[in-house]
Amino acid sequence: MSSRKRRDLGTAAMMLLPSLAILSAFVLYPLGRAVWMGQQRCSAVTKVCRSSGWGQYLDVLQSSQFQNALVVTVKFVLLTVPVGLFLGVVLAVLADKAIRGIGFFRTVFTSTIATSVAVASLMWLFLLQPSIGVLTNVPFLVKLFPVIKNPGLLQDSGTALSAAAASSVWANLGFTFVLVTAGLQSIPRDLYESAFVDGAGGFRRFTNVTLPMLSPVLLFSSVVLTSRAFQAYGEFDLLTGGGPKPQFSTTTVTYLAYGTGTSIGGDDGLKSTIAILLFVILLILSAAQFRGFGKRVEYGN
Amino acid sequence: MNPTPHARFVAARRGTGHRRLVLLAGSMALVAAACSSGSKSITDAGNKDTKAPIATTAAATTAAATGTTATPSSGATTGTPATTATPGTAAATTPAPTVAPSTTTSTPLANLPKCDTTALAASTGTVDITYWDALGSTQLQGSLKKLTDLYNSSQAKVHVTIQEQNAYETAIDGYLQANQDGRPDILMTPEYAFTQIKDTKSVVPIDACATSSKFDKSLYVPATLAEYAAGGVLWSMPFNVSNPVLYYNRKAFTAAGLDPNKPPATLEELQADSKKIVEARASTYGVAFDTGFDSGGGWYTEQWFAKSGDFYADNQNGRSAPATKVNIDDATGVGLMTYLQSMVSSKLAVNVGANDSGQDTLLKMADKTQPAAMSINTSAGLAQVLTILKAGTFPGLTVDDIGIGPMPGPAAQPGVNVGGASLWIVDHKNDAKAAAAWDYIQFLTNAQSQSTWAADTGYVPSRKDSTELDPLKTTYANDPRFAVAFDQLLATPNIPSSAGPALGPQREVRKLVATAMAAILGGADPQTSLTDAAKQSDALIAQYSQQVGG
Amino acid sequence: MATDVAAIDRVNGFWRRAGRYTILAIIAVVILFPIYTTLVAAFKPGSIALRHPLLPESPTFSVIKEAWTGGHLGKYMLNSAIVCLIVVVAQIITSVLSAYAFAFLKFHGRMVVFSIFLATLLVPAEAIYVTNFRTIQSLNWIDSFKSLTIPFLATAFGTFLLRQVFLQIPKELHEAAEMDGIGHWGFMKEVAVPLVRPSLGALGLFCFLGTWNQYLWPVLVTKTNDYRTVQSGLKVLASSRLDSPNLVMAGTVIAAVPIFVVLIVFQRQLIRGLTAGAVKG
Repeated sequence: MSSRKRRDLGTAAMMLLPSLAILSAFVLYPLGRAVWMGQQRCSAVTKVCRSSGWGQYLDVLQSSQFQNALVVTVKFVLLTVPVGLFLGVVLAVLADKAIRGIGFFRTVFTSTIATSVAVASLMWLFLLQPSIGVLTNVPFLVKLFPVIKNPGLLQDSGTALSAAAASSVWANLGFTFVLVTAGLQSIPRDLYESAFVDGAGGFRRFTNVTLPMLSPVLLFSSVVLTSRAFQAYGEFDLLTGGGPKPQFSTTTVTYLAYGTGTSIGGDDGLKSTIAILLFVILLILSAAQFRGFGKRVEYGN
Repeated sequence: MNPTPHARFVAARRGTGHRRLVLLAGSMALVAAACSSGSKSITDAGNKDTKAPIATTAAATTAAATGTTATPSSGATTGTPATTATPGTAAATTPAPTVAPSTTTSTPLANLPKCDTTALAASTGTVDITYWDALGSTQLQGSLKKLTDLYNSSQAKVHVTIQEQNAYETAIDGYLQANQDGRPDILMTPEYAFTQIKDTKSVVPIDACATSSKFDKSLYVPATLAEYAAGGVLWSMPFNVSNPVLYYNRKAFTAAGLDPNKPPATLEELQADSKKIVEARASTYGVAFDTGFDSGGGWYTEQWFAKSGDFYADNQNGRSAPATKVNIDDATGVGLMTYLQSMVSSKLAVNVGANDSGQDTLLKMADKTQPAAMSINTSAGLAQVLTILKAGTFPGLTVDDIGIGPMPGPAAQPGVNVGGASLWIVDHKNDAKAAAAWDYIQFLTNAQSQSTWAADTGYVPSRKDSTELDPLKTTYANDPRFAVAFDQLLATPNIPSSAGPALGPQREVRKLVATAMAAILGGADPQTSLTDAAKQSDALIAQYSQQVGG
Repeated sequence: MATDVAAIDRVNGFWRRAGRYTILAIIAVVILFPIYTTLVAAFKPGSIALRHPLLPESPTFSVIKEAWTGGHLGKYMLNSAIVCLIVVVAQIITSVLSAYAFAFLKFHGRMVVFSIFLATLLVPAEAIYVTNFRTIQSLNWIDSFKSLTIPFLATAFGTFLLRQVFLQIPKELHEAAEMDGIGHWGFMKEVAVPLVRPSLGALGLFCFLGTWNQYLWPVLVTKTNDYRTVQSGLKVLASSRLDSPNLVMAGTVIAAVPIFVVLIVFQRQLIRGLTAGAVKG
């Protein structure tokens, strides 16, 4: 068999080389370099980088700007993921009946899957803009919620993050809906029937049959949504520019690193530090999520 | 909607005991690390010693030895601090007769990139150059395009292609991020980015081209050139010039028994007039202030220091040598902030906040329920304001109701430093391109172009003779309000403090001052807030010097 | 008894259904609201752009046309299409090759290389943008199709997806091919790839969507309209034409249409692909 291994080695090398070359050059090498640059300070003006020691990671982690950004990011995740999952499940359950015209509603509920971050954010920007936006032109809404016009839902530090979160939840609704619907449809009907026979009412059937059987889908959706929320950038770039200042209410960790007008000031070293810290946090988070849901999930193979 | 590969990976793995350990250890470590102080600034990360301004003195001494930027040329700027070894200069406090860079000596230019303007005539064919324009509105971009098309069609030697960056920040960030090959031939940046761009050492100073082509700088308003000069060298050419003026409601003035043709010229008069207006109920508030860093909080503070004849930062506002500290917490600064605080607390003035839109103070004047009678705003907004009023957007306020006066200051001292942006020639080691860029810049800043530009936009011309040419001549004659900003500029005394600060982290310092002002207007103690802001600013400046000088 | 229950059920059923339709309708209106206002604005001529955002007035295609030409959306769409085509084809090819190697070949160090592929899945894109940008810059690939495509020509995600599917091909087929002396390349071309065509479709769809929707990287590496893609182009449109919101909305409509079409045409592949990982694991 070793001759086979040797023979295959040549072919394998040829087949793997393209992927390996690209992945090494544009994923692995940059990661290593980013870890190294994370302990450097670079001047945006002279483009000179100076090493300042591994303590820089700790300094950034303990800095007020990073911690603010982390708090904003966590808030954003908490605002979007549970709400998104909940709405996805509600919509999927509502649309799961074989009544006339349900196809139309299913299409409508899926429609937001066609929007990209930029498209969805601009649509919502148009809705929420305080001087020329849609909501400001609805008089009774403005009377009810004066913040819509003054200074604007995206300009008020208390509401900006929630407004951005609303836009994100809306954009992801189609995705969650499709997943949960597919999950619902894969639940064998006889499970429901036996529960019904056992005397379980609608709600009990939901909690004892539907939810557990949906758990792989919910886990998957939760991981994807959380991952996306943690890495969200476009929403803030287009809706708020990281503001409103000076509270920086929508400057998430990613925005702190890559956005314009943040305290980083074009320092590639600090950007790398933040990026690597984000990477580590995401790793831990994924492990936690899997652990949290993992016990209850059944996998086919 | 594409499930990130990351997510798929996680969902595909099974849990193991290892994972539990990793999770626990990792999160505990992270939380423990993060939970120590949360009051450090990210800009201090990695720096072990942020206090000592290491490079400045060293750079100054070496600069003095080799005769580069820190050396004042004879007959021009004087007064360098005692730490430099520069020979034969007067005491730091005597203002020199002129701060305009000398055109005669070449000592400061000796070690800077050269500009051979004969290279354009010598070149065959058309020289194509790119220009990164940073103007933000479609209207302004249109006016610029008109001028550029005129230039392109009027000669065949140079062809300019405009690449709109759509915002000052985008232009600055884009330029800094790019490598030299990715940079344009001409760059526009706002005045607060002056020091940063100069320190990239990637540009050809305007003075080099001016000297080579025997350009007459005396045709320009000195204040405009002073803004973009440092170390005796003019680095970039002012193009769109603005300064703050007082917008006031003439109707409210009349109603309060004040002469609508005599707006307040000093801060005392501003207070007195506001009192009369509020007491006569001609308006809810006398004046609207804001704490935005490109307006009320940052930019106007710099203006008020200039008006007081006081230096905002040391080393002659960072122009004779790189600044090492700011003076914002001195008597001038504290006096100013105390004044603003008392105006707001006595309800003679209102604070409209961070002014993200740039127009909040103006909008306050048009507010239906609680208006203010006056506000300070950039002169560049006048044309737009009149257009909006003409369209009837704000009933109750007509075009004739708006009066324009010079910006009120601490004393009766006139003068402002300029805002707006300037044009840089990027050094691509190509004489023909540099010469072509200089040709285009000369066109944009000649008397006729500045007249057209100013009349179209409401910016102020940088050339004195532009006001004698149409269309600006007619505009000023028909509506003298447009001329106020220009007259104010002309009246600026030619002393070093008028030029305004040139700091590396200027934008960040403005933000710190703006934050301090916001706190002060909310009731905080002026001295403490300003000293705090000054300390943080000094740290940023020190860091900048370290990075740039070292 | 049964008929009474049935009758009651029918009446209850009617109200239930009416209630359900009402709720569905309300939700549908809320979800469609942003899309509706966008469409209304996109078809409203510039002069009355800001009036009555809820009512369509004198609908016209002129704004959309202006967004396509003056707003450069046409160029952006072309650029995105070129980039997506290159990336999708490349990702399919490289994924097929490496998946095949992992599934059918035995060689020393297979586990090590597999782990390397696995490791790349863990790395979030933001962690490597800074250094990738510097690499691209030093190669002078800024503002070119190279910077938009070359870093994405391979993906471990695709490799794993196809490997799973390849592993499901019965061993006998492979052994038969070996006996016939067909060799790996032949087997791959004639047997393996055709068998997994549906998964190739799903993979292609994902790669297309992922590349089409990329935002931060194109914003970082493109500087002129010659190379901007749709998402980064929308950002430029929004920041430069703040005074014409209906133009910006027209731009978003143009940008959203291709995705909409693609998703309708390929909805089966989409659902299959999404659920393959979620439902079955």
